[in-house]
Amino acid sequence: MTSQTTDNAVIEVTNLTKRYRDTLAVDEVSFTIERDTIYGLLGRNGAGKTTIMSILTAQNFATSGQVRVFGEDPYENAHVLGRMCFVRESQKYPDDATPRHALRMASLFFPHWDQQLADRLIGDFQLPMKKTIKKLSRGQLSAVGVIIGLASRAEVTFFDEPYLGLDAVARQIFYDRLLQDYAEHPRTIILSSHLIDEVANLLERVIVIDRGRILMDESTDAVRDRAVNIVGDSAAVDAFVDGREVIHRESLGRVSSVTVLGALTAAERASLADAGLDVAPVSLQQLIVRTTQHAASDNDEGALR
Amino acid sequence: MNRTLNVIRMQLVNRQTYLWVPVIVLAGSLVITLAIYGIISSAGVQTAMYGGGAQAPLWYFAVVGAQALSFTFPFSQAMSVTRREFFFGTMLTAMMTSALLAIVFVIGGLLEEATGGWWMNGYFFYLPWIWDAGPAAAGVFFFALALLFFIVGFWGATIFKRWGTAVLVSTILAIALVLVGLLWLVGRMNAWAAVFEWIGAQGALGLSLWGLLLVAVLAGTSLLTLRRTVP
Repeated sequence: MTSQTTDNAVIEVTNLTKRYRDTLAVDEVSFTIERDTIYGLLGRNGAGKTTIMSILTAQNFATSGQVRVFGEDPYENAHVLGRMCFVRESQKYPDDATPRHALRMASLFFPHWDQQLADRLIGDFQLPMKKTIKKLSRGQLSAVGVIIGLASRAEVTFFDEPYLGLDAVARQIFYDRLLQDYAEHPRTIILSSHLIDEVANLLERVIVIDRGRILMDESTDAVRDRAVNIVGDSAAVDAFVDGREVIHRESLGRVSSVTVLGALTAAERASLADAGLDVAPVSLQQLIVRTTQHAASDNDEGALR
Repeated sequence: MNRTLNVIRMQLVNRQTYLWVPVIVLAGSLVITLAIYGIISSAGVQTAMYGGGAQAPLWYFAVVGAQALSFTFPFSQAMSVTRREFFFGTMLTAMMTSALLAIVFVIGGLLEEATGGWWMNGYFFYLPWIWDAGPAAAGVFFFALALLFFIVGFWGATIFKRWGTAVLVSTILAIALVLVGLLWLVGRMNAWAAVFEWIGAQGALGLSLWGLLLVAVLAGTSLLTLRRTVP
């Protein structure tokens, strides 16, 4: 867990805790969000992702700990809040509002609002502008949030599970437009998701959260190098992984596939080849799933929620 | 300040809520009331007729007040609006529309006065005890009443949003109990005559000012509640 303070930090979180009556949603979390970077806030449903984003935007309140956005407390701070945009996954809209109304309202509050971009996205997502929002499909509802998030061009933009209900084509449109617009207008983007592989290519850094705790806070490349799959004859695999930290093991007959933590040296790769074992890369999703499961089994609380 | 004014614009983006529906409700209840007056009048009744149809848009204001909080507040949070900006912007919107409604009522009342109740002695806007102190006082009365309806809806929705159904219901029951206690006290002291005398002495204007005081109390408690409310 890093909490180094740099001039580049737009958000600094220190020992953030959020307790609801009987559950600990966020548990002593500390992290830093850097300027002009795309973050993935990854974790299972109920891991605490939305709670953290709500507290960062002062929509919710911390039980303890400190949040600094652009160096200030965001609560009731128009100067700070106006530079952020967070449309939540279960966002409520004014009763009887249509997407046209919602976008016009958004254009009032975000100083960098780009109506042209919004219009283009409306076409891309084929969003019906005159239907009331409560009658939209789940995917169309997500599209409203995605369009507000992108067209607001806020310095810090949160996307909370933005793909829910979107079909594969619409999701790809979102990813493409996000990258395209990000290249032209760099800003800080925090994308919460549990579909990890689908967004893996967008992310520069990942923060993995499970049961309110941070399991991983690293650059995506570093995460990818963290583990490898060793595949081959069970006995040979076992011999090789002996003494290493194994996070997952699968066997089928005499063949085993074992995921071990740690990068391999050239010598190790050579010895693997000699032993007739294959080295396969681990996808970000696999790695995060395995690490999460591993952390859970280490935990006294036992079974995954 | 600019962002607070933008909250007013946000509330008014959908003209249906603050403009068209109240206009439809008002026009509808006016037409229905006049139709009934027409029937009674054509039956040869000569006495002055008064109806309660003018209340209809006021009740709608309570609904708008509740919806302003339960739907528009969460959206305003996504628009990075602070709770304070949302509150003052929404209150200003309510005051503007209440003032508009009051103007319509005053014009309607003047019209009824001039035409002798639509030429059939039937009154929708013009209630003598409200108009005793003149059109300006009547205007203040309608403004205060509309705002009171709005703030009651807003206040209730704020309590609900912050603490849930149980607290809202308990609060309303507690207030009702206090009121019943007061009624009992007045009866016990045989003071009903004095109370009615006092109310009569206040007149429409005095009652409006008391109403505005109640508005201020409800608005103040709403703001304090809203400061820690999660959308």
